Amino acid sequence: MSGTNGNGSGSTLQLRDVVKTYVMGDDTVHALRGVSLEIKRNEYVAVMGPSGSGKSTLMNVIGCLDTPTSGTYSLEGQMVADMSEYQLADIRNQRIGFVFQTFNLIPRTTVFHNVELPMIYAGVGKGERRSRAENAIERVGLKDRMKHKPNELSGGQRQRVAIARALVCNPSIILADEPTGNLDSKTGDEIMTILDELHKGGQTIILVTHEDYIAEHAHRVVRLRDGHIESDTPTRRVSAG
Amino acid sequence: MRLRNDLEESWRIALDALRANKARGALTTLGIVIGIVAVSLTMTAANGLQTAFRNSFSAVGTDVIYVSRFPWIVMNDFFIYRNRPPLEIRDAEKLAEKLRGRAIVNPSMNTQQDLKYRSETMPDVIIIGTTDRQIVMSDAKPEFGHFITDFDVFSKRFVCVIGPDVRKALFGDVDPINKEIKIGRYAFRIIGVMEKRGGGFGGGPSFDREIYVPLTSYVKAFGGNRGRRDVNIAVKAPSQEAMADLEFEVTGAMRQIRGLRPVEKDDFSINKLDTLVGTFNNIMGVVLLVGLMVTGISLFVGGVGVMNIMFVSVTERTREIGIRKAIGAKPHSILSQFLFEAAAICVGGGLVGVVIAAGLTAVINKLMMPASLSVGITVLALAVAAGTGVVAGFMPALRGARLNPVEALRYE
Repeated sequence: MSGTNGNGSGSTLQLRDVVKTYVMGDDTVHALRGVSLEIKRNEYVAVMGPSGSGKSTLMNVIGCLDTPTSGTYSLEGQMVADMSEYQLADIRNQRIGFVFQTFNLIPRTTVFHNVELPMIYAGVGKGERRSRAENAIERVGLKDRMKHKPNELSGGQRQRVAIARALVCNPSIILADEPTGNLDSKTGDEIMTILDELHKGGQTIILVTHEDYIAEHAHRVVRLRDGHIESDTPTRRVSAG
Repeated sequence: MRLRNDLEESWRIALDALRANKARGALTTLGIVIGIVAVSLTMTAANGLQTAFRNSFSAVGTDVIYVSRFPWIVMNDFFIYRNRPPLEIRDAEKLAEKLRGRAIVNPSMNTQQDLKYRSETMPDVIIIGTTDRQIVMSDAKPEFGHFITDFDVFSKRFVCVIGPDVRKALFGDVDPINKEIKIGRYAFRIIGVMEKRGGGFGGGPSFDREIYVPLTSYVKAFGGNRGRRDVNIAVKAPSQEAMADLEFEVTGAMRQIRGLRPVEKDDFSINKLDTLVGTFNNIMGVVLLVGLMVTGISLFVGGVGVMNIMFVSVTERTREIGIRKAIGAKPHSILSQFLFEAAAICVGGGLVGVVIAAGLTAVINKLMMPASLSVGITVLALAVAAGTGVVAGFMPALRGARLNPVEALRYE
């Protein structure tokens, strides 16, 4: 299961004693109280936990949307914790593909342009953008919806667009934050099938969910509670497989 | 490539945003439209006045020094000049003697008289008593007949050269040459008609309404230099470059002629078109500045409107900003996105404003005074509009660019 990558350690990301505290008014919220976690290349990890357990904060830190208050985070050997906003933007652009529960597509903008957008910020030329975006859209099976706008698509289709957008810059990790949370179970299954296929293709996937049957798609489940890792276990799928 | 992509994307977003909120964009733009119309019309008006002024005086000649009792523009209290002794024809003759071979000197006097030809009359026409040398002082030439000759002056003939407006008023299409008209109580025979020169700036006297008569006959008819009329002495420099030296020389010569001791101040004034134009330009500068300040306020108000709407736009799209940041947009990409939107609103308003201003200018040109909307003003107005957009958009755009992506994504 564990792949090898350039730096030899085999790990895509490594968190050590990550603490994140927020100050909200007079209260200090300890969202993460020292989380250490290592995820290797091509792993398929589900992060679970009740609300308020720190899942979202962990995802934000892993996704480089937020930086830890203390502790270290290295992504493919690069220390992220003390990067500038500009460097973080590059990391988000190049190394991370986000899939959100609420899809988070840009409204009033075509499927094609939504998928093309990360490459615009990456500085990719027009011709290459076109072929790569078309490729990604084809991969999620929406070739005939290229010119549609998000509000003309079903929820499942929107999430596919979001996946295509997450893929298009060949990220190290796909971070899927409750990707099926807003979908009915049949559509949710379709989305999970796509994620499974991506994983088979070599992609590292981190999945946040509170549905056990969704978590079962992953090979490893990390459970959080009150800002700590409560358990970190392989799923049946791995034990069985 | 990143820059190009950023600009393309910003442009696209700006257009999308405007398309999505047409009414809002139009109303916001209205403030800018009004501001740009006001500002460009102010500049156009100032330009028009300047053109009118220049046209009026182009015939005077910039290489001529005028020695008069009073300055053309009185900066101090007038009583300082009142006690100056009048300039006399004698003074002009002495000056001509001193400058012989280096500059042409022409004395002239003027008054206003009523004209009469048969039943036609023309009140308050400027009568200029002058010599044959008047003709070299400016570009003005007679269109018909000839100008006053030195023989006319020498023999004190009662002849005159009339301006084209005088001809039109008194004779219509009849040939006026050799006709006699009455200037005040005296009959003068017309020997020439001047070509059209224009002038009459700001309701002032027009060159085309003037009449030239020999200085000698002028003295005979309307009172000599002992009267209350002063002689004006025109001195034409051989070249524009010689003006400064000539002014110095004329001042020295005049002081000698007037018998001034070194401690005494000049009791005459040296006038040049340059000083007149300079003063006019100064006044126009102030008028333009005040005008621009007043009209600038309307543009400012328009800009505040744009800023306001941009704050709304940033707030509305907080979540979108979060999404863009999550997929790798940098702060400057977000900044340029909103700056473009603000600039698009303002440049759009600027374009509409310039079109309206061009229409109004055409109307002004037809009804009031020479006016034209120059390319310079148009470009400047559009630049000002774009600048207003960037300034007005900057604070809202910066707020958008600085949004924390986590919070922005959570925004409902």
